[in-house]
Amino acid sequence: MLAAAILLAGTARARTNAAAPEDLDRDSTTAKAHEVAKGDVLLEALLTELDRSKDRLKMDQVKSPYYIEYRVEDVENYDAEAAFGALLNSQRQHIRVLRVVVRIGEYKQDSFYGPGMGGATILPLDDDPIALRRQIWLMTDEAYKSAADAYAEKLSALKQFSADPNPIDDFAMAPVVTKVEPVVSLRLDEGAWKQTIQEMTNQFRKYPEVQTVTASARFSAVNQYFVNSEGTIVRNGHLNSTVTLNGAAQAADGMRLQRNPYWTEARPEDLPKRGELLKETTKTLDTLKALREAPIVEESYRGPVLFAPDAADDIMAGLVGGNILGRKPQLGKPNRTVGAFATSYKTRILPKFLSVVDDPTMKEFDGKKLVGSYDVDSEGVPAQTVKVVDDGTLENYLVGRQPIRDFPSSNGHGRAAPGTAAFPTIGTLIFKSSEPETVAGLKKKLTAMASDQGKPYGYRVDTLGPGNAPRLLYRVYASDGHEELVRGAVFNELDVRALRNDLVALGNDPLVSNRAGGVPQTIIAPSLLFDELEVKRADTSKEKLPEYPAPELKK
Amino acid sequence: MQSLPVSFSTRRKFRVARTLARHGACFALAAQLISLPGLAAAGEEKDKPAAKGSADAMLQVMQGELNRAKTDLAKSDPAPYFLSYTVYDQDQIFIAGAYGALLSDTAVKRRNTDVTMRVGTPELDNTHGQSRSSGMTSGNLPLDGDPDATARVLWELTDREYKRAAPAYLNVKTNTAVKAEEEDKSPDFSKADPKTHVGEKLTPPPFDKKAWEDEVRRVSGAFRKYGDVYYATVILQVGSSNARMVSSEGAAIETPSASARLVMEAQTRADDGMDLLRVETFQAPAASGLPSEAVLMEKAAKMAADLKDLRKAPVAEPYAGPALLSGRAAAVFFHEVLGHRMEGHRQRDEEEGQTFTKKVGQEVLPKFLSVVDDPTVGEISGMKLAGTYEFDNEGTPAQKVVVIQDGVLKNFLMSRMPIKGFDKSNGHGRNQPGLMPTGRQGNLIVTSNQTVPERQLRQMLIDEAKKQGKPYGLYFDDIQGGFTLTTRSLPQAFQVLPVIVYKVYADGRPDELVRGVDIVGTPLAALTRIITTGDTQHVFNGVCGAESGSVPVSAVAPAMLFSEMEVQKRAHGRERPPILPAPGAEGGKDDATGVKP
Repeated sequence: MLAAAILLAGTARARTNAAAPEDLDRDSTTAKAHEVAKGDVLLEALLTELDRSKDRLKMDQVKSPYYIEYRVEDVENYDAEAAFGALLNSQRQHIRVLRVVVRIGEYKQDSFYGPGMGGATILPLDDDPIALRRQIWLMTDEAYKSAADAYAEKLSALKQFSADPNPIDDFAMAPVVTKVEPVVSLRLDEGAWKQTIQEMTNQFRKYPEVQTVTASARFSAVNQYFVNSEGTIVRNGHLNSTVTLNGAAQAADGMRLQRNPYWTEARPEDLPKRGELLKETTKTLDTLKALREAPIVEESYRGPVLFAPDAADDIMAGLVGGNILGRKPQLGKPNRTVGAFATSYKTRILPKFLSVVDDPTMKEFDGKKLVGSYDVDSEGVPAQTVKVVDDGTLENYLVGRQPIRDFPSSNGHGRAAPGTAAFPTIGTLIFKSSEPETVAGLKKKLTAMASDQGKPYGYRVDTLGPGNAPRLLYRVYASDGHEELVRGAVFNELDVRALRNDLVALGNDPLVSNRAGGVPQTIIAPSLLFDELEVKRADTSKEKLPEYPAPELKK
Repeated sequence: MQSLPVSFSTRRKFRVARTLARHGACFALAAQLISLPGLAAAGEEKDKPAAKGSADAMLQVMQGELNRAKTDLAKSDPAPYFLSYTVYDQDQIFIAGAYGALLSDTAVKRRNTDVTMRVGTPELDNTHGQSRSSGMTSGNLPLDGDPDATARVLWELTDREYKRAAPAYLNVKTNTAVKAEEEDKSPDFSKADPKTHVGEKLTPPPFDKKAWEDEVRRVSGAFRKYGDVYYATVILQVGSSNARMVSSEGAAIETPSASARLVMEAQTRADDGMDLLRVETFQAPAASGLPSEAVLMEKAAKMAADLKDLRKAPVAEPYAGPALLSGRAAAVFFHEVLGHRMEGHRQRDEEEGQTFTKKVGQEVLPKFLSVVDDPTVGEISGMKLAGTYEFDNEGTPAQKVVVIQDGVLKNFLMSRMPIKGFDKSNGHGRNQPGLMPTGRQGNLIVTSNQTVPERQLRQMLIDEAKKQGKPYGLYFDDIQGGFTLTTRSLPQAFQVLPVIVYKVYADGRPDELVRGVDIVGTPLAALTRIITTGDTQHVFNGVCGAESGSVPVSAVAPAMLFSEMEVQKRAHGRERPPILPAPGAEGGKDDATGVKP
């Protein structure tokens, strides 16, 4: 009897705290939920276990959960990989991953800490209610026990710190959402894609100077199922399709040269067609060949640099995208969030002409589909358009349901890769200038600035590699505007300070850069012109050339 | 996304082993699937004399590229003196089920290669001591054998391997010059006669995937009835493999094989938090050779019944006294306690405990026991052996090695790494793809000429307990695996993990099932306490993990009576059994079989 009373008290507290708009009694909420899920065995299994757990999960000396959430990703994958015209791998995979979060405590302070941040397991692929529920049951039990441990651990850890006068809640209220969308499935012509990547890499035959040519094609269909004890039920799906090309060569002096272009779209049919990919491969291998002959950047340079959109996206993703996420700092730390802009709220972080919006609700841009678009995030919160930077000033962080100072509720950016915890993540991040300039105008500015500074040339970057190292870097000569490809350079101090102080203009040539990975994202950025950046020689060691020649081709 | 249920289910069980592994060498034998099967395992194929200048296109491409590398790299300084290519083909199907539904259903097809290179001289080369891993570089090869692409990848890997091996050799030379002389001054690589052998290609046996998916569903579904079996899986792994090897010494070997393995696992948790596990493994050359569904269903029922009994069984107290090990338990015991210490490379590694290194010619076991490791045997007592192969991973033909004859230590399990007094491989150089081979066990077979009929052993255990004035002896019926430590910096200890253990009372009370016992001890002492053995050989098939990776092995032994064995309490988690009853195991609406709040 006593246990039952505590249990009821627990649910009552959870419910009064929840920001559920309608005050429905529990039975009708449950009935409504089951009505929505009808016909979807997985959703029904999740709801059945959710009901059972929220009513009865309770240990002696431990509070009942005030919140339980289940998220399932049903992932269908197809991967193929080719090298030198032959297939290395071709594989289909289907997996269902369940992530369970059980929270003990209350919204103000709860067990979401260390092992209490949830756990994952795999679920049966068959729609068998009992088999599904057994796995859900076990994981819920484990998550509740972990939450109990974590809650105790956290309360004791907090004793080390003096109490925060303005404490920030551990978990944000969120509206109840019911949105069950159709599931997506992986439909593609595997044979054709295998053929395409083989043909792409088969071009190695025409390029004896290039050492390695590999390509891969990866496709996935991810259906996400989300239910929580507040009554939210979401089902949505997305597709992800990526083709990657990798080419590597060595210059005569041993310097390693690489190119890795990739193409990402939601639907396989939106990827470039075979002919176009073959052309892109030729272009890539041509540039590798050219790079081998290109002069090395020996002396350091300080002056204007122009980034093409295909390079601008990487810079903006790293320097801006990575620093505007509202991530709660470690326990006891006073900062708002982590990253370079943690203390820059309402401060100018970019030039005045530059504004940044993250808009996951946008489906297309310039006729191109955006992989960063979604309706409801991985925490069951509807996507929102967020004005991140307005006229250079930081106005908003992207946040999920973990509040940070000044941002008590989610703006629909809590997103997760299959099986992992949700974190604030960009959706579609759009960079826009109030005074966009033409590419020709930017080029003219580049050479004019170089001349003004008494330099024979300025630098223009076409595309970047890891660590923002330029893969294709050109000297643009002030005398006649001709370009010269160079190699072996890196940027020095290409950081948020440079972005705020040295970025002088943006182009009118925004490029949609769809980015694959666990959480699909899109960056839309135009050309960027900096008035001063340092370009210096990379201090990578030169490797030895191959010990003996490559085998002769028989075909 | 690569994590399949295999790794999920083994995670918890090896907590102890993993913890120890962080501190030193630790070798675990388990009945479960740990990773993909070793690839040198031979199937049932009939051997065919090697066709001269084999017609296998893949071997030809490998040989062509190997010859080019051999010739061209001979001009480099330092130059390699040995080079080999091994290409592994794998075509595997994994079907995993739990509680009547499939958890995973994957087909894996891949071809990967290990390029092995030795720079310097056989006396001293780049693989010496700690730099052993510099001898190998691995990568994926085209699936269809395209000659141009295959040769190109082999060339890339060979070049990359040379760039690791050459500096490693220079390091080894410097280190050897500045460090104190090693105790065992054996060369790094032994001489061998290169073999050519092409095993007959196998026609893959028909496999009805759909029917097996349904069977896995049904057999795993058998556990639905049991509310206290918290976790249960049935995993079927069926496939064919092929290993091709060519070396600069002239070896050219191709060994196709096929295997089917079915593993059933069921787990529960006692009220004190101890996880209890039952595992059954079946092995056959093809899925058709696995036990019938009826047999599997019976096993499932038995496993569930065992777990139910185990949950209620009392925890055993620490004890030292007479003990009877079933054949399977004795087999695992020998694999851990003796087998790992017979692996050749452990006799020269200065970090190793070298329990038996200097005991050749001495008595280490009771006179009535002999031990061989014989990978050439395919079957014993009607059971297929998992550790059977024709050639080891260094291309040496598998050999029967008499390790202990009438209690006297005779030999070690040798790869091509020589040790003092043993300068040749005896066909036990084994590895999982991607790792350098070391001396490993294949089929470790213990025989006895002091036997009694098995059914008499229980009475002998009682007699021995009475003789020693003990209230009971222990009977170890089944064992899940074990691990052992062989490094010098740690105690020379072993631990085997029994799952079904009974107290056999001297006063005639019925036997009592107990749980939570681990056999512990030190090898030299434990082995001399064997009094007598049963008259029937029993087989334990498993996967053994050590420095050179996971390889399939068998251990075979009769039941054994020990005058004394020491057991300790098993360390276990404190987490309670699930709070709510299992879905579907509820008689009425939600009637609890779990623990109530």
